[in-house]
Amino acid sequence: MKYMIMMFGGLAETLESRTPEWITSMHEFMMKLDGELKQSGEVVASHGLVDPSQAKTVRFQGGVPVPTDGPFAEIKESLAGYWIVEATEDRAIEIASRVVAFIEYPMEVRRIMDESPEQGQPE
Amino acid sequence: MATGGVNPEQPIEDLLRELAPQVLGALMRRHGQFDACEDAVQEALLAASQQWPTEGVPNRPRSWLLTVASRSLVDQWRSESARRRREETAAALESAGRDLAADPQGAADRDDTLGLLFLCCHPSLSPASQLALTLRAVGGLTTTEIAAAFLVPEATMARRISRAKQVIRSAGARFELPPESDWAGRLGVVLHVLYLVFNEGYTTSSGPGLHRADLTAEAIRLTRLLHCLLPGEGEVAGLLALMLLTDARRAARTDAGGSIVPLAEQRRELWDAPRIAEGLALVTRTLGAVPLGPYQVQAAIAAVHDEAPTAEETDWPQILALYEVLAQVAPGPMITLSRAVAQAMVHGPKAGLALLGTLDGDERMAHTHRLEAVRAHLLELAGETIAARESYLRAARMTASLPEQRYLARRAAHLRPAALPTNPAG
Repeated sequence: MKYMIMMFGGLAETLESRTPEWITSMHEFMMKLDGELKQSGEVVASHGLVDPSQAKTVRFQGGVPVPTDGPFAEIKESLAGYWIVEATEDRAIEIASRVVAFIEYPMEVRRIMDESPEQGQPE
Repeated sequence: MATGGVNPEQPIEDLLRELAPQVLGALMRRHGQFDACEDAVQEALLAASQQWPTEGVPNRPRSWLLTVASRSLVDQWRSESARRRREETAAALESAGRDLAADPQGAADRDDTLGLLFLCCHPSLSPASQLALTLRAVGGLTTTEIAAAFLVPEATMARRISRAKQVIRSAGARFELPPESDWAGRLGVVLHVLYLVFNEGYTTSSGPGLHRADLTAEAIRLTRLLHCLLPGEGEVAGLLALMLLTDARRAARTDAGGSIVPLAEQRRELWDAPRIAEGLALVTRTLGAVPLGPYQVQAAIAAVHDEAPTAEETDWPQILALYEVLAQVAPGPMITLSRAVAQAMVHGPKAGLALLGTLDGDERMAHTHRLEAVRAHLLELAGETIAARESYLRAARMTASLPEQRYLARRAAHLRPAALPTNPAG
């Protein structure tokens, strides 16, 4: 099973009130975790997104798509980055918990839908 | 330059990469058809990488590869059974393959490799395709390796390469050296592609993308090859020198935790002295040449930095003078940005900030964090802590590079007023 572990908010804003030492240790923590997950083969994909202030949102207005500056959601609710892991739900929650314990911001864990029909379905 | 002979010291992988463009060139001289020949060479390389380690490297590895690639071409053509004249073609190819394999070392190798570079860097291709095709056809890398280097799925890279080959075919691009009238322009594209390969590896060689350092090595190898083929081209030598002088600082560019270390704070004993010596020699040899191009000037600037035993001893007036030359040769906002830093080091931060001010409102700077990052740095030098912190934070929001974002946020954090709360609500 694949799970997406999502991080929210603007990283720049998150870092604004932190000490240089905290930022450095956060950086080390993320690198270590990323390395561990890659080493164990659990990571399918992982990416960070640029700050939500740089986002463009395309809305349907007056019958046409109109691009505007800024994110769709509030900055603190905007997607900041994600991991996709091949793991059980328990393991995905365990990974998310390690990150949350460090950054103190909430994360969301959600299963990725399968391309194939579910196993064990009645014929 | 490659001789194609067997050197027992040379790893098989290196030998294959060296021979790849020669074999592909020899096939193409005979048959044209870039895409078919390229596939055939990849098959031959694969066969060699499987057989040579156990059976030993053949006495004439280049001929071995040519024979296997020619045979693979024959198979390809045979399987296209609907094609008219297929039997004649196959027969012709078979004898051609024998001729080619018998030819010990074509004097045309030099032009073949150049012709391939020009073909892969054809102006009708997007830069991403030029990079991928150059690494595969000239660099002899597999699609898997290229995909890993650019952090994209293998299927994506395979499609990008086959699409690039289609574009080349439909554009009617020829395997030949460009005419003299196009020479400078086409060589410029080749150099730019090699420069992009280098940057792709260099700017991301910290953090999770460690294996991408291979791209820097590959860019240097290919530029070195080009320099051997065209020793009289000043800009080729300039680009090679620029790469060597920049790559020499690699070990000092990031700390143990993977964070960026700015030039002024790098531990210079970690710099690669032989690389610097090689780069300096190239710069010294080419700098007198006319016309002077942008790569040569940038290499000269890198050389001045690399020659300084400490950051304080950097010859900034010399660097400022070189940036002024660069602004003449290749004007642009990024040059102005670097010139502003040199200006600040020579005439004080206010003078640098004034020069930066000329970039405000420049559309080309709207989507890069660099203007704000440099402004922040100069404001900090000027002692304007509050404005500097704001600029660092603006730059941190704009950058698309994770290590740079962390670096900028850390610089901002250093300037944090003591009165601010330390922890936001989660």
